Amino acid sequence: MGSASKQTQSNKSQGNKPSAKQASNDRRARIAELRAAEQRRDRRNKILAGSVAGVLVIAAIATGTWIVVDANKDKKAKEAAAAAPIDGVQTFGDLSRNHVKEKVTYPQTPPVGGDHNAIWLDCMGTVYDQPVENERAVHSLEHGAVWVTYNGKATPDDIKTLSEKVKATPYSLMSPYPDEQGTITLNAWSTQLTVDSASDPRVNQFFTKYVQGKQTQEPGASCTMGAM
Amino acid sequence: MTATEESAEPAEDVAATDRAASRRRIWWPAALAAALALALGVPALVAGGTSASGTSSVSAPADDSPEAGFARDMSTHHQQAVDLSFIVRDRTSDESTRTLAFDIINTQANQRGMMMGWLDQWGLTQHSPAKPMAWMSMGGHGHGADYQAHDGSLMPGMATNTQLAKLRSLSGRDAEVFYLQLMLEHHKGGVEMAQGYVDMADNATEKRLAQSMVAGQTSEIGLITDMLQERGAAPGVPAS
Repeated sequence: MGSASKQTQSNKSQGNKPSAKQASNDRRARIAELRAAEQRRDRRNKILAGSVAGVLVIAAIATGTWIVVDANKDKKAKEAAAAAPIDGVQTFGDLSRNHVKEKVTYPQTPPVGGDHNAIWLDCMGTVYDQPVENERAVHSLEHGAVWVTYNGKATPDDIKTLSEKVKATPYSLMSPYPDEQGTITLNAWSTQLTVDSASDPRVNQFFTKYVQGKQTQEPGASCTMGAM
Repeated sequence: MTATEESAEPAEDVAATDRAASRRRIWWPAALAAALALALGVPALVAGGTSASGTSSVSAPADDSPEAGFARDMSTHHQQAVDLSFIVRDRTSDESTRTLAFDIINTQANQRGMMMGWLDQWGLTQHSPAKPMAWMSMGGHGHGADYQAHDGSLMPGMATNTQLAKLRSLSGRDAEVFYLQLMLEHHKGGVEMAQGYVDMADNATEKRLAQSMVAGQTSEIGLITDMLQERGAAPGVPAS
């Protein structure tokens, strides 16, 4: 403290009588001040430039990511269209798949799965005029076929339209089913849709989604008649 | 203060500014490169992440592409070759015919499985409401798409249901000859469709399989022609 006051005094005395040394000290102080100011300005500019660059980089990443995510979304939407849920389709969960010789009582009419006969029904776009055996048709469903059934309310036009569709579609079959509730029923393994008319757009949707669709229990299995 | 002293100080400052500027010049390219890498890399990671975790890759063919169309239609075409071959194996004991049929069953059933598997991986359905071979019109092979489906014959070379029933009713040499005649037409239609896809293919793996079909079935067309000749029969399918 004593030395500090002494220093101040000596500074004062020197201040009264400026010397070359004093001028040099002043200049150094000014330079230091200027450099400090320069450094502050530099730091400010760096922070500003860094922030701007950061914002730009984040914006670029966000834009790029958005483009990719958006493209993926479009693709998902397209895929979904190929396998989108169809209004009114009922599903029935896991059903048994044993081969049996006797008649089976099925909970659904027409049946869409459960135990069945060892020999499936020819389903290479096959149209049957007469009712077929449940136990054999169910085996065809297991192989990925769509089974079209209709009752007495179906018009000749309905039957003609559906027959043409089935004949052009391997892994589908069609037969009358007088006991069913709905006019026209589309059956796939554990899956069912009832429509009033063959012109219902859901008929084509059902074919697209379920002919050898994801519900198929044995992908790659044959639809050609088992007994040859 | 003298004039020389005055000018000396800014000179020092200029030198310092120059050094700083040169440091900045070195810093900027590196920063720019890093920013670019981030801007490109992060979305690429997002894209890569979804393709790895999702059911299909970003490059999966479209539902109406030749890739999907060929996979679907050739699967249907192949299935009938398998069916024809199973029938003849039950109708004759001739070794050479049964061996050819055995070969066709295994080859075409396995190829069918490959094509169905691709459709599954691409997230596409096995069935399409499009007309058989509609995809071929995209490549100028319009005639394939113009084929009039009739009696179960959905594409060029496919036998009708009536012809299948007739084959089931024949036996011995008659069954062999009719099978060989049907199979000859079936292979001709198959080669035409496979070549149609090869000409417009966008998928190297699928193109390779189609090329193997062209080569394999062309070679079998020669074999079948010889087998018909050995049996004293003409190649054409007789009208039934």
